[in-house]
Amino acid sequence: MFIMKRFLLILCVACGTFSGLWAQRSISGVVTDAATGEPLAGATVAVKGADTGAVTAADGSFTLPVAGDDAQVKISYTGYVVQSILVGAQTRLDVAMEPGSLIDEVVVVGYGKQIRSTLTGNIAKVSGEQLHAMPVVALEQALQGQAAGVYIETANGKVGAASRVRVRGVGSINAGTEPLYVIDGIPIAKEKENTAGGPLNPLADLNFNDIASIEVLKDASAKAIYGSRGSNGVIIITTKTGQAGQSRIELDLQAGTSTPTGRREFLNAGEFVDLFTEAANNSDDIEGMAYDDPNSWTDFVMRRFTRYSGRNDSWKERVDRTDWQEEALRQGSVGNSTLAFTGGTDKMRYYASGNYGFTKGILVSNDLEKYGGRLNLDFNATSRLKIGVNFGLSRTLTTQVSDDNAFSTPMQLVAMAPITPTRDENGQLYDRPVTTYYNGLIDVEEASRRVFSTRTLTNAFGEYRFNPALVLRVEGGANLLNVRDNAFYGRRTDAGNASNGAAFAASSNTTAFNTNAVLSWNQEYGNHDLGIDLGTEFFSSDNVYSYVFGEGFPVDDLKTLSSAANITDAAGTTTEYRFLSYFGRARYNFARRYLFNASARVDGSSRFGADNRYAFFPAASAGWVLSEEEFLKDNRALSFLKLRASWGQSGNADIGNFPALGLFGAGNYNANSTLQPSQIANPALTWEKSTETDFGLDFGLLKNRISGEIDYYVKNTTDLLLQVPVPATSGFTTQFQNVGELENRGWEFTLNSNNLVGRFSWSTSLNLAINHNEVLSLANGQTLIDDSGSRYANVVKVGAPVGEFYGAEYAGVDPANGDALWYINNAEINANLKATTNDYNQAAFVELGSPLPTFIGGISNTLSYAGVTLDIRFQGQQGNKIHNGAGGFMSCNACWFDNQTRDQLDRWQKPGDQTRVPEARLGYSNGDQSRSSRYITDGSYLRLKNVTLAYDVPTRWLHGGGFKTLRLYATGTNLLTFTKYQGWDPEVTTDFLASNTVYGVDFYSAPQPRTIVGGIRFGF
Amino acid sequence: MHKIKKMRLHKIGLTALVLAFALAACDKKLDLNPAQSVSEELALSTDANVKSVLLGAYDALAKDGLWGGNALRDAELLAADGELRWVGTYTGPREVYNKAMIASNGEAEDRWTDAYDAINRVNNVLSALETVVAEDRAQVEGEARFIRAATYFELVRFYALPYEATGNNSQLGVPLVLRPTRGIDASSQVTRNTVKEVYTQIVDDLTGAKGLLPAENGVLAGQYVATALLARVYLQMGRYEDARSNADAVINSGLYALVGQYADEWNNDDNTSEDIYAVQISSQDFGEATLPVFYSIPEFGGRDGDIEIEQKHLDLYEPGDARLAFFYEGAGAVRSGKWRNQYRNQPIIRLAEMYLIRAEANLRLGAAVGAAPVDDYNIIHTRAGLAAVATVTLEELLLERRRELAQEGHRIHDVKRLQESVDGLAYNDPKLVFPIPAREIGANPNLQQNPGY
Repeated sequence: MFIMKRFLLILCVACGTFSGLWAQRSISGVVTDAATGEPLAGATVAVKGADTGAVTAADGSFTLPVAGDDAQVKISYTGYVVQSILVGAQTRLDVAMEPGSLIDEVVVVGYGKQIRSTLTGNIAKVSGEQLHAMPVVALEQALQGQAAGVYIETANGKVGAASRVRVRGVGSINAGTEPLYVIDGIPIAKEKENTAGGPLNPLADLNFNDIASIEVLKDASAKAIYGSRGSNGVIIITTKTGQAGQSRIELDLQAGTSTPTGRREFLNAGEFVDLFTEAANNSDDIEGMAYDDPNSWTDFVMRRFTRYSGRNDSWKERVDRTDWQEEALRQGSVGNSTLAFTGGTDKMRYYASGNYGFTKGILVSNDLEKYGGRLNLDFNATSRLKIGVNFGLSRTLTTQVSDDNAFSTPMQLVAMAPITPTRDENGQLYDRPVTTYYNGLIDVEEASRRVFSTRTLTNAFGEYRFNPALVLRVEGGANLLNVRDNAFYGRRTDAGNASNGAAFAASSNTTAFNTNAVLSWNQEYGNHDLGIDLGTEFFSSDNVYSYVFGEGFPVDDLKTLSSAANITDAAGTTTEYRFLSYFGRARYNFARRYLFNASARVDGSSRFGADNRYAFFPAASAGWVLSEEEFLKDNRALSFLKLRASWGQSGNADIGNFPALGLFGAGNYNANSTLQPSQIANPALTWEKSTETDFGLDFGLLKNRISGEIDYYVKNTTDLLLQVPVPATSGFTTQFQNVGELENRGWEFTLNSNNLVGRFSWSTSLNLAINHNEVLSLANGQTLIDDSGSRYANVVKVGAPVGEFYGAEYAGVDPANGDALWYINNAEINANLKATTNDYNQAAFVELGSPLPTFIGGISNTLSYAGVTLDIRFQGQQGNKIHNGAGGFMSCNACWFDNQTRDQLDRWQKPGDQTRVPEARLGYSNGDQSRSSRYITDGSYLRLKNVTLAYDVPTRWLHGGGFKTLRLYATGTNLLTFTKYQGWDPEVTTDFLASNTVYGVDFYSAPQPRTIVGGIRFGF
Repeated sequence: MHKIKKMRLHKIGLTALVLAFALAACDKKLDLNPAQSVSEELALSTDANVKSVLLGAYDALAKDGLWGGNALRDAELLAADGELRWVGTYTGPREVYNKAMIASNGEAEDRWTDAYDAINRVNNVLSALETVVAEDRAQVEGEARFIRAATYFELVRFYALPYEATGNNSQLGVPLVLRPTRGIDASSQVTRNTVKEVYTQIVDDLTGAKGLLPAENGVLAGQYVATALLARVYLQMGRYEDARSNADAVINSGLYALVGQYADEWNNDDNTSEDIYAVQISSQDFGEATLPVFYSIPEFGGRDGDIEIEQKHLDLYEPGDARLAFFYEGAGAVRSGKWRNQYRNQPIIRLAEMYLIRAEANLRLGAAVGAAPVDDYNIIHTRAGLAAVATVTLEELLLERRRELAQEGHRIHDVKRLQESVDGLAYNDPKLVFPIPAREIGANPNLQQNPGY
């Protein structure tokens, strides 16, 4: 890279021969709102083609040096139409700004910016204001439902749980499906870094009050500039920068509480005793056993009741000793504060902030605390050179609970019997054999799982303007992430029980560097507007991981590994990957009417074999602004109309490192080291490619008071990096191959409308997306990838969406005998596919629905009057199914001793009963097979995602208070959920399974929190 | 003007040159190698490396699907017959216990996958014998072939209908894969060999291993380890003379001796004098030895006490039997003492079994090679603290075998060999045979599924 930097330096010198001299004078004026006449503070006034500019002061005034009479001044302010004015000879310039529409907004594109009206690609923008003050932990949660075609799911209600984002559908099967995140120019990996428990969201440390805007690049034209890493879309996060003008200080404080969005109903003590007694009687009947026989199921169940009661007969009183669900859940709380300083002069601008926040989760012993700071600075070092640095430091402490599959996770407490007290007479928590399973409350008292995450995100840039047209921007960034995971399990806990306590300490250090240089040339010749960008980028990331596990602690108070008697496990690994890229983009528009855009990127990655290391990713797009044509120019109703089309290719290399090599790994046996085959070679392995075509229409009606976008896209992912199942008789189970094809196609609609303007204003913003996901082909001869085992049902199947549920089709209960029935669905056994069987093995597996929604959307309405603003946002999805993977435990008509959901009381009891719940038979399988449509239900939902009521106290009342603005607000998230799903919450994928191909599985997954906070925002 | 142009051209040339250097320098930056793995070529390139791969094959044999524990556990669950009860939540073992496996049963998949992993490791070793120093070559080959035989023996007994001593055994066994995998192609789509062919391969490998191995080899496979396993294989095949001669050879090797107290054979960190082959487990092998996980209780590192011993089993023992006293009560049920503590060696073949094989073969053959059946019986019987007997019937001897080897993974194989029935199922009922894993049929359509799946 040193040589490359030298090259760029030479380039700088080589090009630095242009310059010109103009006579300098200055103009001044005031910028106001055309509707109200109020001055606008912070508006940008810039001389076109030069790097001089000013920002209006509190009274809307500015003074700006200009050169020559032909200078053009551009005045912009967020939310208003940009104006360009020829200065001429005047020295005074007062500007009234028209409230603008989104058509005129500036949008961040890859390595640059553009005005929306000239875009030929599809980019969704969410402004920082739309995220502000949302009382959620992670950015993605705030983004949910705000951008068309961007599907966001948080696995469960655990604090800091990983979120999954899918732009225009699931784009891969085994390679990554998460979009590329670029924060201030630095690509950020969003991988699990914690060692135990469910995956945490590494982006939870981002304070989203620092965010100026988020752009989601969706179509090929927009994202191809990110080449090999763009196939799943790109999310560009830009943090705030200072504005020249008067400095501002803002303090935002909020606090509130949260409760679970839903609960399940379980049997109470009396129902529990009755149902299980009945189940035991039924099993005895099958075996011809007398109920009072000491070997009978009935006798067995009575002994169990006694055991579960704490070895006494109290169960006969049929009184609830514990509501275990309430032991797992609690009222949580939230507090957040941000203090931000922003301002600057025409030479230097700054944004500095500090934040602290805590979230006490709705699950016992699940908390998060974060604090961080940010300093963004930029200087005009000379009239040609601008330099800047964005520096963010954040620290997050998550107190985790185990993943959903562990007995120790709070939600698994619901399996316990209601006749079991939590504690014995000495106040000690009961454990097995009194509790049915390990009592997870012991973990609450005697285990700790703490994950500390520290991130430094630094980006420095220099921008040199050789002349008004030619700019070189060089950026260098570093993302340093250190995640320390420390756990201690006391001697009564599940994990520490056998070994007098256990503990581990893990540390994961990721160091990523990124440098890029982009040379941009932009020039207007009359109606011709041309732009060319050439750039190069180098990215390198390495990870060093170490892990130590020890057992045998003298007392529970000594929790660190130095006190362990026995170090029983350790690991230390290092790995790295790199990308080297060259890219170019050309842009041309004629009279803002005909728009053309082409880009190409060449990427090399260390992840592939030397022969297939480089790939080329082209894209092209065009737009036609019909409203600029003569025949539409004067149309009063239709103020803007643009047709767009784009085509392009992007890639995906988001797989583990070194997948192409034939490898042997190390192990040990009998304290000696071993070598064993670990991976089978595939030297031909290369990128996964996606080819995307997009047709779009942008429109504005009634002076753009109503504006919107409609898009249709087809995205084909080919040469899938597929972990192809190979015959295990080879000694391997999978091999990465480039085979198979996946399609996502769909429609996106965005509509923004200012329904009412004036003193009482009302605006609506709507986004809807329909996505059709289909696996077109897999490896040769392969139609199905089924790694789900017998409990879960997600598969990858040709002709179906990724993650399709696949299992036996439940046919209800035989009214004659209470047997669970399934449809045979196999013509080889019975020509009538809908013939039923009570033998689960006879029933062929069939497609049972998709966990992916076909339809997602959000709608928000903002009403304001006299400083009071009410914002109401709904978000929802439709067409997806949810599989309750724990149904075979909690809803199995008392097949074993897990407490049952109350719907099991509908069980079959006597011939003729019509029900979907089979006869209760303890110890027998009667419909408890998990991979069955019995446990798959509709997961569509509509959620009142966010309501914010805010009051901006009028400025005139604030005089003397020491501050300029004051906003009081109350905001709530996940306030109401409308769904047919009977579980805790329909936004769910159990954390221990969630992957590219597993969605919509509930397994003791915590409900999402419903949070209500009150806040206050001071401006000084 | 002309001059400027010329200068520019010059600069473009220079720029191109710099660019070319930059590209070359950066391209090299993409050459990265993994830090935790080595290439195939390197792994098999030296004597020491091949021996490491061999040790890797031992480790594969010690995986949970095989002798790490679940092969022993499932042989007992399949033959539970009211003597033990599975009360755990895991679905896979529960289906095994209920004889209601489905083709995607996780245990069926794990065992198959672990076994062929072990076989591929062995085949890698065998493909690189030339790299091994000459003086060790025979031993390395012998050890590798022992592991392959042991693995195929587990496979053929779980995934195929039983070997019939009097039949032609043309029923489908498992695919015989005898070469290392270097790539995936059409030849990877193997078909199942017959049970007879698989047994022939097992016998051939063990016979070969016997001739290649030194008498002693620490805790790894020596000559008498292969001999002992061969005795077990022959017994399964009903070849009593061969079973007896091999068992007799092990007993007479003088390398092994019964421990004094029955309880002393179990939960040890080091091999006992009675152990012929034991899987080596230390606290470094967290989660790899699964017998205590399922048989034991939380206080000793087990799960919730997933396997309970039932009265019907306890009724098999006479009062005063040390083996009866060795059961213990914990977490509300009776537990096997054998697999109580985590991180302890797991005996797989022990001398007591050799006495029982020799006695049974002699008894069936009306012979007394090595010792009279009753004398062998008494060696085992009196060690359990019981009085010697004067005579012994086959029935009594087989009952002694059940008591002595209880919960050690012999039961279902004995049921099949002795053509008994369990839980109302005949010895050759397809429900007592594991399914070929569904994922395997999916990846290789050439594989024929077992009946009933």
